[in-house]
Amino acid sequence: MATKPRDDTDMIAGLLLMAAAAFFGWQTTGLEVGTSLRMGPGYFPMLLSGLLFLLGVWVFLKSFGREGEPTGPIAWRGILFILPAPVFFGLTVRGLGFVPALFLTSLIASQASVKMRPLPALVLAVLVTIISTLIFSYGLGLPFRRFGPWLDF
Amino acid sequence: MSVSKLLGAACAVTLVAAPAFAQGYPERQVTMVVPFTAGGPTDTVARLVAERMSADLGKQVIVENVGGAGGTLGAGQVAKADPDGYTVLLHHIGMATSDTLYRNLAYDTENAFDYVGLVTDVPMVIVARKDFEPADFPAFVDYVKGHAEDLTLANAGIGAASHLCGMLLMQALDVPLVTVPYKGTGPAMTDLLGGQVDFMCDQTTNTTQQIKGGTIKAYAATTPERLAVFPDLPTTAEGGLPEVQVSIWHGIYTPKGTPAEVNQRLSASLQKALADEGVIKAMADLGTAPVSAEEATPEALKAKLESEIARWKPVIEAAGVYAD
Amino acid sequence: MDLLSNLGMGFSVASSFANLGFCLIGVLLGTLIGVLPGIGATATIAMLLPITFQLEPVSSLIMLAGIYYGAQYGGSTTAILINMPGESSSAVTAIDGYQMARKGRAGTALATAALGSFFAGSVATFLVAIFAPPLTAIALEFGAAEYFSLMVLGLVMSVALAHGTVPKALAMVVLGLLLGIVGTDVYTGTPRFTLGITQFSDGLNFVALAVGVFGIAEILRNLEDEHERQVMTRNINSLFPNRDELRQIIGPVLRGTGVGSILGILPGGGAILASFASYTIEKKLSKHPEEFGHGAIAGVAGPESANNAGAQTSFIPLLTLGIPANPVMALMIGAMIIQGIVPGPSVVTDQPELFWGIIASMWIGNLMLVVLNLPLIGLWVKLLTVPYFVLFPIIMAMCSIGVYSVNSNVYDLFAVAFFGLLGYVLSKLRFEPAPLLLGFVLGPLLEENLRRAMILSRGDPTTFVTRPISAGLLVLALAVLVLVFLPQIRRRREEVFTESEG
Repeated sequence: MATKPRDDTDMIAGLLLMAAAAFFGWQTTGLEVGTSLRMGPGYFPMLLSGLLFLLGVWVFLKSFGREGEPTGPIAWRGILFILPAPVFFGLTVRGLGFVPALFLTSLIASQASVKMRPLPALVLAVLVTIISTLIFSYGLGLPFRRFGPWLDF
Repeated sequence: MSVSKLLGAACAVTLVAAPAFAQGYPERQVTMVVPFTAGGPTDTVARLVAERMSADLGKQVIVENVGGAGGTLGAGQVAKADPDGYTVLLHHIGMATSDTLYRNLAYDTENAFDYVGLVTDVPMVIVARKDFEPADFPAFVDYVKGHAEDLTLANAGIGAASHLCGMLLMQALDVPLVTVPYKGTGPAMTDLLGGQVDFMCDQTTNTTQQIKGGTIKAYAATTPERLAVFPDLPTTAEGGLPEVQVSIWHGIYTPKGTPAEVNQRLSASLQKALADEGVIKAMADLGTAPVSAEEATPEALKAKLESEIARWKPVIEAAGVYAD
Repeated sequence: MDLLSNLGMGFSVASSFANLGFCLIGVLLGTLIGVLPGIGATATIAMLLPITFQLEPVSSLIMLAGIYYGAQYGGSTTAILINMPGESSSAVTAIDGYQMARKGRAGTALATAALGSFFAGSVATFLVAIFAPPLTAIALEFGAAEYFSLMVLGLVMSVALAHGTVPKALAMVVLGLLLGIVGTDVYTGTPRFTLGITQFSDGLNFVALAVGVFGIAEILRNLEDEHERQVMTRNINSLFPNRDELRQIIGPVLRGTGVGSILGILPGGGAILASFASYTIEKKLSKHPEEFGHGAIAGVAGPESANNAGAQTSFIPLLTLGIPANPVMALMIGAMIIQGIVPGPSVVTDQPELFWGIIASMWIGNLMLVVLNLPLIGLWVKLLTVPYFVLFPIIMAMCSIGVYSVNSNVYDLFAVAFFGLLGYVLSKLRFEPAPLLLGFVLGPLLEENLRRAMILSRGDPTTFVTRPISAGLLVLALAVLVLVFLPQIRRRREEVFTESEG
């Protein structure tokens, strides 16, 4: 082969670790380091950020000189619908209330699969909502408002 | 005046003050926010009271734990809630101290809340590992002054009642001690039992059984009067340190703007709960007692909060510790 | 003999018809709620706690103990079936348990977990009954220096958890440690890495992290290529371990029970290490360490036993000192107080019926758990035949509720999404989540105890080697380090050798 072998995954992994270390290190700068008797809040994080950076360098360097495996496809649709689901629930559970928030959350999450048709998705969301409301709100008496102030007219 | 007339007058007053609103209160369940995690001492107090208040109000009072940031998250949430009486807050002394401990609080402690009443005052005791040398409180004071550099004082974390009490003690004795903070009273007590640290202040909830069991040594109660559970234990004032007085008082608050009738209704319900024998007994087991009916009122709580804020501000500022 | 009469009294209290009933209800409810994804033992107990308030003190605590075991087993079930651990302990079970499930051996994994837990629970219950007071004395010898050394040992072991490369595993541990630091510094009150968000001042929520990097990352992986990839194999083998498999799990179960029993006694977070330690030991002792991470039955049997033994012995500090070893025990104390029992050193003498009743009910609870759950395994495994695109929206809904219910903190849900993404990116880069999780739970303990030890010793670092228990733990850590790195170095040599040949 003409090009030198290189494990791209590990190279990116190494770079990412270094970036994370840099981020934590930067966040540590404002913290007092202290002495060994009275270690300040920055002592331990500083040490760890440095260590993480070195490990990043290690992983990065090891990526040269060997072949990597392919990373495979990326679940863009999953990322687009799965991750916003809990965020949406968090943003609306107080305002809309437990029942509508959960219904919409299930509906959003179900869109992550290409196999899910609109009607089954709707049915599933309704079922999940009814059962969860029965269990958590009525059964266990969790302090959720079933319908929130946004729906008061 | 006959009873019916009296009732009629009372109704009329109510009607004028809050048209139709407070009359049917409560129409649905009331959420009592406890700004600490479930299972802690404050949560225990809340659940005790909430259960009896539910019986009186005829609607469920449910406890919601909104823990975090020394109780300021839960308090902040209640400050922003609708002032309709369906969200109330049960908080302890931290309500007053966080006003100084947290320099960028999301709410204005003295103006964001209305008041229902005080609930209970949990006393604290100065305790030490069981083989700590001094025999009594005067000897303790001398010993601590003489051996300040060798001693360690535990507390349950920045801003905790044990920390405040420790600050007062150090200021009263005028000696700096090596303080060892822990995450909560549990681990601090474990290390005191194991003799890893020398002494600390802790509330009777945690100390009573240990003192009775002889696993730790008690030196003084930080209350104006001696404790019913330990009649032989002197108070700090008797030992010449009257300024070392801390108790963990609990109060119930509502968001600012809650109709006065609703607060009165909650207050009446609180007074009933506090007079309940089950509650009195449960609190006695914890080494505390419910406050009197006069103190379980909005006025008493307002006065308490304001005086405590004023009292702790200089102490915390002098020590220069902040929780943010 | 005193012990026998005490146990007899305990069993007569615990086996009254009503109390047996409450124990059963507790186990059943605990399992059913605990099995919901994203809802771990702590959340389950917090949710079910109010139900027990109306009962007699003994009945209420017996039911709570039942809920606790049920919740814990339910949590392991979710970890095995859908890779979504709700507690740090079941995170270890997820590593090999989930791989077994994917290969159609979910039934075997669940049965192994149930049997291992039952054995460990029985042994640990008797340890509690016989040795509670002397064991407490040992636990009290553990100060900050000892805990620090113990955590160091745990961290060293964590490297062996990974089946990838050492630097990447180490990097995950360190990243976990850093994430564990997020929150308010215990010693100064300074917020660290909170990005100014007050909601994170008590640290990141463990459940959010675990659900994100394990469960959600796994869902995303499964959604990568829906048409070609099948999440679960359709042919599911027999539910129960066969004779050969049973023979394979005896050793791990015994060792796990030992490790878990010892670590569970330590109130300062020892139990956290139990399942991790057991996994490391099994991997090191195994003749086929390469199977670990790909569905090794020993990787389920050992940690599950350790976990359950630790859960049992963590009652020791609670019952003899009145000190909670973990959040679950803190909830139990809350429940006791509401019942008018203030836990402390005098419970054993003042209320022997309660003390021995609880101990007896621990064993009864474990027995019920196994009786109840073995038949249920068939049902759980059937769940896997539900099409994945139906299953995961349900999982997302449940874990949203579960995470939110703990502290009503919306930011915990944001953290779930963030860690889901992080977990997915990490898995794409072939990092493993288990060392990250261990670092996360150990980080705060490690730092707290290091700093406390230094304060107590007045800044003298020799405190770690002059205190005998601490020194012993450090020597052990060194030994593990050598054991972990030697094969690595040897393999490297072999690699170089073969490469130069070719």
